[in-house]
Amino acid sequence: MAAVSTIYSTQALNSTHFLTSSPSSSTSKQVFFYRRHQSQTNRRFNTIITCAAQQTVVIGLAADSGCGKSTFMRRLTSVFGGAAEPPKGGNPDSNTLISDMTTVICLDDYHSLDRTGRKEKGVTALDPRANDFDLMYEQVKALKSGIAVEKPIYNHVTGLLDAPELIQPPKILVIEGLHPMFDERVRELLDFSIYLDISNEVKFAWKIQRDMAERGHSLESIKASIEARKPDFDAFIDPQKQYADAVIEVLPTQLIPDDNEGKVLRVRLIMKEGVKYFSPVYLFDEGSTISWIPCGRKLTCSYPGIKFNYEPDTYFDHEVSVLEMDGQFDRLDELIYVESHLSNLSTKFYGEVTQQMLKHADFPGSNNGTGLFQTIVGLKIRDLYEQLIANRATVPAEAAKA
Amino acid sequence: MATIAATSLNFGTQRAVITSEARPVRLAGPVRLNNPWYLCSRTTNRMATVRPVRATPEGVISDKVEKSIKDAEETCAGDPASGECVAAWDEVEELSAAASHARDKKKDSDPLEEYCKDNPETNECRTYDN
Repeated sequence: MAAVSTIYSTQALNSTHFLTSSPSSSTSKQVFFYRRHQSQTNRRFNTIITCAAQQTVVIGLAADSGCGKSTFMRRLTSVFGGAAEPPKGGNPDSNTLISDMTTVICLDDYHSLDRTGRKEKGVTALDPRANDFDLMYEQVKALKSGIAVEKPIYNHVTGLLDAPELIQPPKILVIEGLHPMFDERVRELLDFSIYLDISNEVKFAWKIQRDMAERGHSLESIKASIEARKPDFDAFIDPQKQYADAVIEVLPTQLIPDDNEGKVLRVRLIMKEGVKYFSPVYLFDEGSTISWIPCGRKLTCSYPGIKFNYEPDTYFDHEVSVLEMDGQFDRLDELIYVESHLSNLSTKFYGEVTQQMLKHADFPGSNNGTGLFQTIVGLKIRDLYEQLIANRATVPAEAAKA
Repeated sequence: MATIAATSLNFGTQRAVITSEARPVRLAGPVRLNNPWYLCSRTTNRMATVRPVRATPEGVISDKVEKSIKDAEETCAGDPASGECVAAWDEVEELSAAASHARDKKKDSDPLEEYCKDNPETNECRTYDN
């Protein structure tokens, strides 16, 4: 972790020099200030040295449980390089994932009531009464300022709150869970926020896929579980999507009439306009409405094919751009063909999106819009991070020059 | 890396003393080559020693899921709209998610990798980087 130190002097500066060295390998810049020694030795210069540790970039990710957050996290950390793993030597049921650049914190750790507590009060985990937002705000703020925190652990298996674990401030902090954007103070701390909006039919299909292998579960029990949670979900979780900078909406396909298998998906990436450091992806021409079916003479696709849509729109009174993909990728060349026609992807080289998708071909959603848009959002976050860091490094240098 | 300490240019005796044999020189201190993010949480977090080292096996979670579904069905038989019923189904959801994560983790895990993560200095787990 690099520290940006600025040296202030209470007296007038007679001559100051500063040199910047930016080693090509590291992502952080180090700025050195020094003053040429003055001949008047009886003059005391009071220098105040303040070092601010590199500010952390905070990303928020909201979704209901069982909705692909962990897949998203793995794709995101993969974009930055390295695999994310639980902290070594700590609680094996910890929800935290740590990689070189990123640390992922599960907001379930901020439950104020454990499972028995919630049962007694008749409150779900979705209810804000079951979560300690004050602690969440304090700890995210501390991590953002570069201070390590002792974060509680919520054990999903036992349903109890375990002993806290030490979390060091990372370069990128991702908070994922049910309520990252619920509390206004925490919302202010987020540099970028994403909401995964899964429609009811798709959610049902996914939960069936997940739970049918579990003995004890039946179709009725899965349905009852979703229905019981719906009121709390609609009241507390769903409204967060208006605050998100990017919403990934997953709907059933329109290419297959009367499809209820939920295998082919229609995925919409809703990107807010005017967000700092975030430039939405577009197709062919920014701000126009485009409908594109890549399958034709140059590219042959199998049934049901692929259809893209791009248009400007309003979403909860915000200007947004919506990129939509319906259908599935079958082959590598479909993916690279599509990538070459999308603009503003923030890739570092041609084919990076395809490469990332192939790296995780075994992840769910790798052949449709969910994987594609999650990868693209990951690249956008990387771009945002790099711009933010570059901006923060230049600001203290300019302040000292003045 | 065997180091041969030839005491002097004494070709007569032709004895080379190999100070260390086939096994490489032992690194002093904890091996951090593969784990750059290894924190000293083990030494500072005293409470961590209270917890068991092994994670909960998968069968335990499946039993919990089954039990919680039965509980939820019983609770909701009385009053479907009550907070207890909703909380019970929420618990089912939480446990199902935990079971699914455990299944995924088990699918990915390689027994040798798991062992080597905890015991990098054993013979099976040595990595030779040069």
